[in-house]
Amino acid sequence: MNRITILVNSLKSFTTQNWFSIFLAAGILWLPLPLPEKPPLERHIRIEASTYQFTPEEIHVNAGDRITIELVSTDVIHGLSLDGYSLVMRAEPGQTARATFTADRSGVFRFRCAVPCGNLHPFMIGKMRVGSNIFLIRAAALGLLGIGVAMRIPSTSFRRPDKGPL
Amino acid sequence: MIRMDLSKSPYIAPFLRNRWPQFLIRAVTLAGFIFTILTGLIGSEVGSNNFAVIFVWIAWWSALKLFFIPLGGRSWCSICPIPMPGEWLQNEGIFKPRRFQSSKRKNWPKALRGNWLQAFAFLLIGLFGAVILTSPRVTALILLGLIIVAFILSLIFERRSFCLYLCPIGGFTGLYAKLAPLEVRAKQSVLCAQHGEKTCYQACPWGQYPLALKSSANCGLCMECLRVCPYDNISVNLRPWGEEISKGSKPTLDETFLGLMMLTTALADAAIFLGPWGKLKAAAYWVGTSAWWWFVIAFLLGALFLMPGLYLLAVWSSTRLARSGSTLRSALTYFSPFLLPLGLTGWIAFTISFAFTKFSYILPVLSDPLGWEWNLLGLSGKASVGEISPLSSFLQVVVIAAGMFWAARTARQLSSSHRQVMPLVMFIASFGIAMLWLLVG
Amino acid sequence: MVVSRVKKVKQEYWARAILLVLIGAALLIPFAGKWLQAVLDDFPTLVIHARMPENGGWSPNRITARVGEPLKLRLTSEDVIHGFSIGKMDEPSVEIEPGKVVEVNLMFNQPGTYTFYCTRWCGENHWRMRGVIEVVGEGTPVVEDQPLYLKIGLDIDAPHPAEEVPSNSVDPQQGSTFARLLPSYAFDKQTYRTSSPAKLWLRLRAEQKLIELSDDEIWNIVAWIWEQQTSPELLAEAKQLYAENCAACHGETGKGDGVMVRDLMPPDTEGHSSGERTRPPDFTDPNHLFGASPALLEGKIIRGGMGTGMPYWGPILTNEQIEALVSYIFQFAWEK
Repeated sequence: MNRITILVNSLKSFTTQNWFSIFLAAGILWLPLPLPEKPPLERHIRIEASTYQFTPEEIHVNAGDRITIELVSTDVIHGLSLDGYSLVMRAEPGQTARATFTADRSGVFRFRCAVPCGNLHPFMIGKMRVGSNIFLIRAAALGLLGIGVAMRIPSTSFRRPDKGPL
Repeated sequence: MIRMDLSKSPYIAPFLRNRWPQFLIRAVTLAGFIFTILTGLIGSEVGSNNFAVIFVWIAWWSALKLFFIPLGGRSWCSICPIPMPGEWLQNEGIFKPRRFQSSKRKNWPKALRGNWLQAFAFLLIGLFGAVILTSPRVTALILLGLIIVAFILSLIFERRSFCLYLCPIGGFTGLYAKLAPLEVRAKQSVLCAQHGEKTCYQACPWGQYPLALKSSANCGLCMECLRVCPYDNISVNLRPWGEEISKGSKPTLDETFLGLMMLTTALADAAIFLGPWGKLKAAAYWVGTSAWWWFVIAFLLGALFLMPGLYLLAVWSSTRLARSGSTLRSALTYFSPFLLPLGLTGWIAFTISFAFTKFSYILPVLSDPLGWEWNLLGLSGKASVGEISPLSSFLQVVVIAAGMFWAARTARQLSSSHRQVMPLVMFIASFGIAMLWLLVG
Repeated sequence: MVVSRVKKVKQEYWARAILLVLIGAALLIPFAGKWLQAVLDDFPTLVIHARMPENGGWSPNRITARVGEPLKLRLTSEDVIHGFSIGKMDEPSVEIEPGKVVEVNLMFNQPGTYTFYCTRWCGENHWRMRGVIEVVGEGTPVVEDQPLYLKIGLDIDAPHPAEEVPSNSVDPQQGSTFARLLPSYAFDKQTYRTSSPAKLWLRLRAEQKLIELSDDEIWNIVAWIWEQQTSPELLAEAKQLYAENCAACHGETGKGDGVMVRDLMPPDTEGHSSGERTRPPDFTDPNHLFGASPALLEGKIIRGGMGTGMPYWGPILTNEQIEALVSYIFQFAWEK
């Protein structure tokens, strides 16, 4: 029981000492940013799938765009499954597949091959970016905040080796 | 010093002291290992439907990176089946503890000691990784090769030479064990001073002397010392994360090199497997083609020159900024502990991204291990494609940010001033942001 | 804890026994499963592994069967999705997924040589992925009629530019209104099969009864005659066949721009006589297609291209399927 109270107390003191950093971290992760919105468009994107490669491998669209994807397979049967959207397509060479959806969720979503097409099939990946890459910026900011917090901790709890301080 | 001795707990102690629980687990892992080799050799050639590929590279790898290492350090080594046939032969029995007269084998050559061989073994896995991770045959052959080599080495050399000096998994498991919250230490050194026979040292398959054990890197948590000590002077402690590196450990050059190797391979594997660059994947996969040779050159340049070069630059800048008189070589090893939390969190985030999307393959492959349309558990449905969920993205970000914090804190503690730590901080920030970009960008 | 010597020996033996049992189980499970499956099989069963042709194709690719005896095939793919079907039997194909096994039950009533083939595109050599089933036993063997192009001695490799092409779009409906004026040979299937649209147009143009009709109206008649030889159902079936088998090279719109031929040179307008592999010709070009008779197109489909890359579909497609396909192909040019 003793050790649990020690743990709880240290957690409490950590929180009170670093409340600002914790607040900042929450803001970095979840504060909605009033970014300028681009008007939604109708897009036709032709994606070619060959073994282990989507071409283009990255597509950028605006939030709210109505997107029609044409999936063209060039060697064997491939598929396309889009993370975060319930979109699954399958295309055989000679039979282009078409599907339409609205990009209502922002962020970076990976699309993957949905039909076994060889040994590296689970790694046949492309990226779709809806809007700006705010998630990555938030993540990087969080990491830098972590570094900043680390700089504040005094280096007293450390015993230098015999060679002496550098 | 916050420590909690698990060997004192009435619930846990029996599992540590009695040899049966550990043996039963080892028997199961050994049988599982053999089963894995067999399914890899004769089952379907399709990786995602073969027990060998799914269990080794998804299930076991995730368990290793997400549980065994962060929570137990070198805990997998205590139940790993690879050294067991050799060790049982060396001890002349399953339950016989090791004694001086048990095995008269050679000592491992001095020149080959340290982490160098393990670092290069891990580099090889990186070079052939695209084929190894996706082919059941190759996976099976590598496992077979490992157990045969381990067995042959145990006939020639003493103790667990394979585990200590060759096993690529052992290399980084040992390295990151320094951060983990589990350790085996002697309790009272006074008792050890009185004890001439040193049964603990005789019994240890890792060749460690528990009294002198300062680092958890080479202790495989096998508990043999605990069992044979006549004074019950060995403790198995829970300790805070990272305490070992913040207490002025003396890393060696080979550990530094291995730490850098782990960073490079984390970035490379994230780019190859999780990136959208099909040409890179094809180059990494088609071994023997000219594209693959270019990939090899790029990979080796990155691993042997670029990453160590950047680290060298950061450390050199740090030494210049402090205007100290120490040599560059000593500074390289002195600062290296911060590489460990950076690498461990990078690999954990990579595993979350890599493996979470493929967990749906695990149950079907248990139901149909060879891809022969069996249905042992009634679960042989089609595995879904899998996707990165928002939760998984969030976890990756938090883990990498935590790693950047932890590494920066370690670097700060090792430095004499804010100015001195800045180049190291830039190295840490670059790696962290690069990993974030590859995984969630 | 002091454990007696006897107890220690007993523990050691138990431990070794458990180890042997577990390792034995690990070794046995795969083989036991195989044996059990073989025991439970009620028919003779054959396991066939499907791989891309570059990696071996069908293994095995020669099978023997007996008339009237059931044969079970267990099909699995070792790389990509394949499909299985037997030529000239008009049965739906089965899809073979990697790492999974599908079973097909076969029964042959007539002896002969049957071809089985892959029905899902598995690379540029997909059409080469074929195997043979030799069926022996009693019964009348399957007899194949000689293709028409051989009977009439047609050189299907000769270039066939159209002598005349329509200058405007055709209207078969309008052409049907002149039915009563047409000579009897216009309704004969043999005429249709052996005449190219351009040749038939020239023949009709020279007819006395049709002399007052415009060139366009004669084209409408030819288009109507072509339409009579098929039906919407057959065209729908042909559309499916074309999409699955032909579109990858010939293009989804018939232009000869399919994904499999993108890297090849554009076609010689004079035919595939240059010796180099080129793209297929453009079906939407009447100058090319209207110089070909249905017999010529049938011949090309049946025999293949002699080094051009065009597969030979003789053992695969039934005559009805080939006829429907020919009508469908002509549609590309008619609809221009």
